[in-house]
Amino acid sequence: MTGGPALASKTTPDTRLQSAQQAPRGRTAPNQEAGRPLLDVRGVTMRYKTQAHLITATYRVSFSVLQGDRFVVVGPSGCGKSTLLKAVGGYLSPTEGEIILKGERITRPGPDRMMVFQEFDQLLPWKTVLENVTFPLRTTGALNGKAATDRAMQYLEKVKLSDFAHSYPHMLSGGMKQRVAIARGMAMEPDILLMDEPFAALDALTRSRMQDELLALWDETRFTVLFVTHSIPEAIKLGNRILLLSPHPGQVKAEINSVPRGQENSNEAAALGREIHDMLFADQITKAPDAAGE
Amino acid sequence: MLQASERPNIYCETLGPDQFGIIEKPLTLAEQIYNKVWLRKLAILVVLALAWEIYGRWLDNPLLVPPFSAAVQALISDVANGTIPKRALSSIEVLLVGFAVGTVLAGLLTVFAISSKIGTDFLDTMTAMFNPLPAIALLPLALIWFGLGDGSLIFVLVHSVMWAVSLNMLAGFRGVSATARMVGRNYNLKGLRFVGQILIPAAFPSILAGLKIGWAFAWRTLIAAELVFGVSSGQGGLGWYIFESKNQLEIPEVFAGLLTIILIGLAVENGVFRLIEARTVQRWGMQT
Repeated sequence: MTGGPALASKTTPDTRLQSAQQAPRGRTAPNQEAGRPLLDVRGVTMRYKTQAHLITATYRVSFSVLQGDRFVVVGPSGCGKSTLLKAVGGYLSPTEGEIILKGERITRPGPDRMMVFQEFDQLLPWKTVLENVTFPLRTTGALNGKAATDRAMQYLEKVKLSDFAHSYPHMLSGGMKQRVAIARGMAMEPDILLMDEPFAALDALTRSRMQDELLALWDETRFTVLFVTHSIPEAIKLGNRILLLSPHPGQVKAEINSVPRGQENSNEAAALGREIHDMLFADQITKAPDAAGE
Repeated sequence: MLQASERPNIYCETLGPDQFGIIEKPLTLAEQIYNKVWLRKLAILVVLALAWEIYGRWLDNPLLVPPFSAAVQALISDVANGTIPKRALSSIEVLLVGFAVGTVLAGLLTVFAISSKIGTDFLDTMTAMFNPLPAIALLPLALIWFGLGDGSLIFVLVHSVMWAVSLNMLAGFRGVSATARMVGRNYNLKGLRFVGQILIPAAFPSILAGLKIGWAFAWRTLIAAELVFGVSSGQGGLGWYIFESKNQLEIPEVFAGLLTIILIGLAVENGVFRLIEARTVQRWGMQT
């Protein structure tokens, strides 16, 4: 946690405040007091058993996500960030601590927390693009009939895929599939969108374009997103708030503000990237001092 | 030795599409014909029929192997006088009932198996015991229990269909990706809706393979059972037709009966199952 406060003063901290005020939709519960977090993760320890071991994936992780946040969890592989996201999704339950969404404890998966996975097979291959987007709307009873189709088309247009509404997923490229998955998640207008390295399996060019598109979508609708990645540049570019986790087991190293939007190529961003890098790999640096990338 | 810094940047002009001779060209007629699956399969059938015809004529012993033309003649005359259609219909009726009951039971058993550990163990044990057991071996018992009629036929049919289909279904359900399952749970799907909306479509390639195997098993069992005890409720099926013809040394009719079974098999495979495949797993890109 040593680098945390210094960094917070260095970067402009009010991106988060802005977004909280500007949250334009009626998605916020009216009785929600200002400043009360949308998602509250309190001292969450995640443990799971394999054949021979009991593994602690995260240890007493706490953080809060506000309405309209682009909250990024970043850390090296093995820091339990995906496990943490699955716990927020309700697929796993914490061995210690609790996760509160809008004042209610999360106990199981639900459509108020739509997941976007890394894998391309998250789209159901037996449904067309449009059916994939309308399916959760219909099964959860959120919308029916034409209303569901209209909502789905509206979000497919946002991700520029309305021409492919009647194609099957196997006819699309990897990037297009991820866009459908994002449209599907957003069409449900969930309290929070959970993204588990959704661009990790894409090539670098597509990945960069998808990041721009995601930011453009956020400008339009100001959804709240919890995004997990292992890429520091991606975290700086996409997030307004970044949580750093250390590996084995995952513990909070810092929770910091990112650089303002559109400055991901500035010197400030580069400095922030170095800081994050140093913090995440602090353990290795003590072992091999020459390897510090200054 | 060229140093990295000495190497110049290289820029090339690319040709426009109009400067190429051929970008796209239709295939020749012969290539187009060869690309038709049904034509290739038809060619294989013609060659087989020709070989049969030539061998039959060369052997010149219609009691052992009548030529293809004689078998076709017998087939045509018995189809025309209504014998074969009647027999085939009575076989197919029993077959469909047995197949449907077997499939439904397999479905129930598999859903039970995936929803609990004891269910999985139950299905594992049952298939391990009964799948290798030939249906015909149960026929004597079935005859005692259900009498000489459709009841015992359906019993052995269900036995031959159920285990093969449930083994394939279970393998299919187990192979459904964790992501697809999580997607279903994300939408609050539970119980039978989860099975119907996520598991069955996701496991459909395996289920379809199971149904095909089950169908083939059912045919074999039915014909064999009819050959063993023949007439059920006064009217025999195709197996009995073959048995009768053999007893009267009408060998071309025996072959006609066999041909009918083959033809029905081909029709079901290429008509029903191919159609289901094209509409489902192929359209969904789960199978090429």
